[in-house]
Amino acid sequence: MPFSLLAPRPRRFCIEPKTPLDFAVEVANLVVQFGDFKAVNNVSFKVFKGEIFGFLGANGAGKTTTIRVLCGLLIPTQGHASVAGISYDDITNTDRIKDKVGYMSQKFTLYNDLTVEENLSFTASLRKIPATTFEKRKQELLNFISFNKPIKTMVKDLPGGMKQQVSLAASILHDPEIIFLDEPTAGVTSASREKFWDLIKKLARQGKTIFVTSHYMDEVEQCDRIALMRAGELIAIDSPSGLKRSTFPKPLYELYPQRNITFAEAESLREGHFFESFEAYGQRYHASPISEAHWNDFKNKYASDFTIRAITPTLEDVFIRLVEGNDR
Amino acid sequence: MKISRAFAIAEKEVFHVMRDPFTLAMALLLPMMMVMIFGFAIEFNVKNIHLALYDGDKTAASRKVAETLASSHYFIISPTDSPQKAIAQIFAEKDRAALIINRNFEYNLFAGQGAHAQLVLDGSDNSTVGSIIGYFSTIQKLSYEKITKEKIPYMINLKTRFLYNPELNSRWFIVPGLMVVVIAVLSTLLTSLTIAREYENGSMELLLSTPIRPIEIILGKLAPYVILGFGSVTFVYIMARGFFEVPFRGSHLVFYGGCFIFLTTCLAQGLLISTTIRKQQMSMQVAMTTALLPSILLSGFIFPVESMPLFFRILTAILPARWFMEVSRDVFLKGSGVYELRYSFFVLSVICILMVVASIKKFKRDVEA
Repeated sequence: MPFSLLAPRPRRFCIEPKTPLDFAVEVANLVVQFGDFKAVNNVSFKVFKGEIFGFLGANGAGKTTTIRVLCGLLIPTQGHASVAGISYDDITNTDRIKDKVGYMSQKFTLYNDLTVEENLSFTASLRKIPATTFEKRKQELLNFISFNKPIKTMVKDLPGGMKQQVSLAASILHDPEIIFLDEPTAGVTSASREKFWDLIKKLARQGKTIFVTSHYMDEVEQCDRIALMRAGELIAIDSPSGLKRSTFPKPLYELYPQRNITFAEAESLREGHFFESFEAYGQRYHASPISEAHWNDFKNKYASDFTIRAITPTLEDVFIRLVEGNDR
Repeated sequence: MKISRAFAIAEKEVFHVMRDPFTLAMALLLPMMMVMIFGFAIEFNVKNIHLALYDGDKTAASRKVAETLASSHYFIISPTDSPQKAIAQIFAEKDRAALIINRNFEYNLFAGQGAHAQLVLDGSDNSTVGSIIGYFSTIQKLSYEKITKEKIPYMINLKTRFLYNPELNSRWFIVPGLMVVVIAVLSTLLTSLTIAREYENGSMELLLSTPIRPIEIILGKLAPYVILGFGSVTFVYIMARGFFEVPFRGSHLVFYGGCFIFLTTCLAQGLLISTTIRKQQMSMQVAMTTALLPSILLSGFIFPVESMPLFFRILTAILPARWFMEVSRDVFLKGSGVYELRYSFFVLSVICILMVVASIKKFKRDVEA
C-alpha cells in the first residue's frame, strides 16, 4: 500500500460556515421514491465549502441517487436541496446550478470512439465555453492531469487510469465550484488511484468542494468528513477520526487464532457476554469488549487460543460495525 | 434553445457514424443490397418454366402447338414418349407442368369435334400456376390461328392496354416501392441505436449534467440521419432512372417532400424505440421488426393492399409505409401531384406529427424526471 495514502493527514482547514452561502451543498429531508421503493429516505446533511466530503455506503444505499439529485438529473419526491447556495426548489434554477457543478458519473462517460481532444471540445460546446477560454483551459487541465500522450489519441486506446483522469478533466472543464465524483477510481490500478487522489487533493487546495463516493477505505480515510448511508438513510456523519471514536469508544483488539476456531465457537463468542462487537476479518477477528472486566474475563478463558493485539479501529471496522453489523 | 449545442451533438454523431464500421456499412450497403435483391431477383413475369410435352398425335397440327409454345420463350420444353412419363416429370420436380396432346388431335379438330389436350400443373406453387394459365390462354388462341389459318371470330373483342406501365414491367413497379423499404429500414434502424448507445455507455449522464435541452439532443441526433436518409433516397432514385430505366413523371419537389415526411416519421419511430428500450441490441431487433415487416409485407410493396383481408386493410391505414408507397409509385409512374395524392399526404402528415410528438414527449419525460 502506498505510504502517502496511509499516513495520517493534518486536518485541512475548512471555512467554518457563517452564512448559508458558505455551504456548498445543503440537503434537507430529501426523499426519492421509485414506485414503492424509497431509494433515499428523509436524508439531511450539509457540505462545507472547500472540504472533501466522502459519501459511503453499500451498493444500493442511495449514494448515486442523492448525487443525481444534486446534479440536477433527478427531481426529488420530497425535500429540499441546494447547491452552491442556489435552491432546486425553483426548477428554473437548474441551469445555473449545472454551471457551478461538475459531475463524473460512475459509468465511464467519455466517448471511446472520439479522441481526447474531440471529447473535451464536445463537452466545451455543450457548456458553451468560448474557443479561446477552451484552448487555455484545455492546456491547463492536460497539464494538471499530466497527460503525456498525443491529444489525438482515441479514448479507447488510453489505459484505464488515464481515461479516468481525462474524464475528470472533462467534468471540470467549466471550472465548477463543486465537483461530484461517483466512484471515480472503480476498476483502476492502485497506482492510478493514488494519482487520482492527489488530483482530488490538489483541487480541494484550490478551494473546490469535492463530493466523492468510493468503496476503498484507504481513499475514504482522506476525506475531511464522511457521511454513511444505509438502505436510503443517513446513519452517521463525521470526520474519519470522529467516526472511529464514536463507533468504538472502547479499545479494539485483533484476535489471531492459534488453533482452529470452529464456526460454532466463533458464533458463541459473538453471542457471548464479552464483546460489544466481534467481527471476522479473514482468519482474524476484531473485537471490542464491553468493559475492562469483561475483557479480563475473556483473557482468562481464551488467552492461549489467540494472539491478542490492541489496534486502532480503521474505517473498515466502522463501516462493518455501522452498515453491515446492523443487518445481521 | 441554442443551435450551437445541437450542432455539437450533430458533429459528434457524424464522428460516431464515420468511425463505426457497422453503421457506415449499413448506411452504404443496405440501399445497394436492397436495389440488387429487389431490382433483379423479383420478377413477376415468370419465365423459363419447365414443361413436359407428350405429343400423342404427331401431326402438323400438334407440331404447330409445340412450335407456338417454344416460340413464346416462356417455356423450356422436354419431350417425353408417354403421358405417364410426362406426369412423372412433375412428380420428380423436374417440370412444373405437362401438356399431353391426345391421338386424333388434328382429326378431331378438323372434324369439328373439339381437339383434346390436357394440361397438368404442379399446384404447390400458386404464383407460377397463375402465370402458366395466363400464357396458355394466349397460346391456345395463337396455335388455333396458326393451324387453321383463320382468325377466331370474337363475340366480344377485348383490347387490353396497360396505362402507366404498358409492358407491365415488374421493375417499374418494384423500384419506386423500394424507396419505402430503404427509408423505413435505414432510418428506423440507425436512429434506434443512437439514443440507446448514449444510455448504454453512460454518456447520457454527461449530456444531462450540462445545461443542454432535450430538444437540442434530439435535433442534433437526427440531423445527420436526415442527410443520410436523403442520400440513400437519391441513390435509389439514380438507380431507378439510370439503371432500371423507370420513368419519373411527377415533380421532384412533391417526391422529396413525401420522402421528408416519411423519413421524419421513421426517425421519430427509431427514437421512440431507442428511448424506450435503451439497449442497442434489443432496439435494433425491435426496429428491424417494426420497420422491415410492415414496409415489405403490409405496404402494398408486393402484395396489393386491396386484396388483403379486411382486418389487415384497416391495419395498413395506420402504417406510414402504406401511404408513402402510394406517393412514391404515383409520383414516379402516374406523375401525380399533391392534389391527386391529398389523402395520402394528409394521413402521412398526421402520423408523422403524432410520432414526432410521442417521441419527444417520451424522451423529455425520461430525461427530466
